[in-house]
Amino acid sequence: MKKRLSGVFLILILLSLLLSSACQSGSPQANTVTDDFGRQVSIAKSPERIISLAPSNTELVYALGLEDRLIGVTTYCNYPPQVEDKPRVADFSRVDIEKIVSLQPDLVLAGNIHKDEIIPALEKVNVTVLGIDPERLDKILATLKMLGSFTDSAAEADTLIASLTTRIKAVTDKTEKLSTFERPRVFFLTWHDPLWTVGRDTLVFDLIEKAGGENIASDLSGHAQIDLESVIQRNPQVILVLTSMGSQSTSFEFIKSEPRFQATDALKSGRIFQVDTDIFGRTTPRAVDGLEEMTRMIHPEIFK
Amino acid sequence: MGGLLALCIVIGILVSSVGSVRIPVITVWQIMLSHLPFSGISGDWSSTTDMIVIGIRLPRIMLAGLTGAALGVAGAAYQGLFRNPLADPYLIGVAQGAALGAVAGFLLPWSFLGSYFIPVMAFAGALLAVSVVYLIARVGKTVPVTTLILAGVAIGAFLMSLTSYLTLISTSEIHGIMSWLIGRFSMSNWEQVALVAPYICVGMVVIFLFARPLNVMQLDEEQAQQLGINVERTKLILLAASTLITAAAVCFVGTIGFVGIIVPHAVRLVWGPDHRSLLPLSALAGAGLLILADTASRSIMPPTEIPVGVITAFLGAPFFLVLLRRKKKAVF
Repeated sequence: MKKRLSGVFLILILLSLLLSSACQSGSPQANTVTDDFGRQVSIAKSPERIISLAPSNTELVYALGLEDRLIGVTTYCNYPPQVEDKPRVADFSRVDIEKIVSLQPDLVLAGNIHKDEIIPALEKVNVTVLGIDPERLDKILATLKMLGSFTDSAAEADTLIASLTTRIKAVTDKTEKLSTFERPRVFFLTWHDPLWTVGRDTLVFDLIEKAGGENIASDLSGHAQIDLESVIQRNPQVILVLTSMGSQSTSFEFIKSEPRFQATDALKSGRIFQVDTDIFGRTTPRAVDGLEEMTRMIHPEIFK
Repeated sequence: MGGLLALCIVIGILVSSVGSVRIPVITVWQIMLSHLPFSGISGDWSSTTDMIVIGIRLPRIMLAGLTGAALGVAGAAYQGLFRNPLADPYLIGVAQGAALGAVAGFLLPWSFLGSYFIPVMAFAGALLAVSVVYLIARVGKTVPVTTLILAGVAIGAFLMSLTSYLTLISTSEIHGIMSWLIGRFSMSNWEQVALVAPYICVGMVVIFLFARPLNVMQLDEEQAQQLGINVERTKLILLAASTLITAAAVCFVGTIGFVGIIVPHAVRLVWGPDHRSLLPLSALAGAGLLILADTASRSIMPPTEIPVGVITAFLGAPFFLVLLRRKKKAVF
């Protein structure tokens, strides 16, 4: 019995020695983070060849000053303007896996729409993939921190996060003590026929709240269709129309000329504005620009 | 028939008090009566409530009724014309043509043409698709129904492939496109009702006038010809009228499915296959079904909506299966 036990011990010791040496030789300072989909992702050395599969991810890469390592982006990446020169490897939802593999990336930044098919496909060909999907204002900061630590740029990330936090606080200092009566009812429109809006658990919801407004769709969550009569009944005081800047503003023109909207306080006082889909439809540091812009629209008297 | 007409009107009045905003039934009735001339009724409801009932709910109910009637009649006419129980108003390209027109309308950067651009594109697409199918299917002086169906299926598939591709590459328009393809009455207004009503009413009357020839044609086209019916002319007029009312029905609200195929069968199961009653009853049953479906669509989960196309099949299919089980003999 004793002999057998000591044998087991010996094997255990040998095994643990083997394992620890394997770890050390394989990755001296393996860097592991939990991505936005809750996946544990490790990388042996700081990634040098990064591919972004979403315009928002591309903006995050630039925000951290990692643009020199960016070797592939999507056809929809348009910010910052310098991104024009980067090779395109994907469009809105389709991803050219062959092209990605041929570019030999050591990190691919994927988004929500890549979760089910593209990420497993890339992992099958041994590409390291980080899932990026912040979807809330505070999560954008957390994602910046995660991405910063994964790419050996934690210092840059911390500086950026500190400056964004200061700007957010400059707004909320003025808006957080507003009473319900001082918060204009805001209708955020993403499509006009049928009416689509944005409810709880979204970046836009956070921004409206922090900008000192009251979302009229707070009983809905995520992107949702809303009934015309409910909108008219809730009588928005400010209407924000998500618009792709530089192209036609169909929804904006539609609401401005729709007879049944004329009775709302927003149209009576002319407080209907277009907001850029690239800023309010993406989760990037520019969301803070969006917050400031939105506060100027909702509370021109206290935030200029 | 009178009973069904009365039922439709009662449904229309009753559902006007249902919606995502709670308004007391009495108030709704008072508001509606106050808009009748010389009623002398007034009350202390707000102008918003008035607008919700008169400006939002009523045109919606009217448009749902008109659309349901058009799809019901067109479905019955097609099933009779093609002597095929699987025929529906979308069989020979109306829906696919309208869909491609509408989706192109969504994506073309011509919004300056106004809010009628998409419905006009849909309407034109529907008429164009069916015209092409008809011309392709023509053999000499006749248009055999089998050729018509096959040409319709092929053209439909061709158009559908383009529509699917355009939908896939769309970005911000995707909500609009998908909603149109499933069908919705969300933004219906009186202008839309006024624009489509003439087409649908005239088209339906024309179809009703051809009830007897349709009955005779159920035997066989050759026999019908011998019995003094101009089969090719009847076919052309019925196709044109059905296409017109279907195109008018779908151009604003989108391609709502299920109504056009199931309503005529349900009517046939309950009231028999005589087209003189089948056609008008299909109009009324279609109107009633779509009004009820849209009411469910806008009031089940306030303040959001469930697409009406989802409701028609979800509520209509079980109802139809019950009818089917009760009638143990062969249908059609």
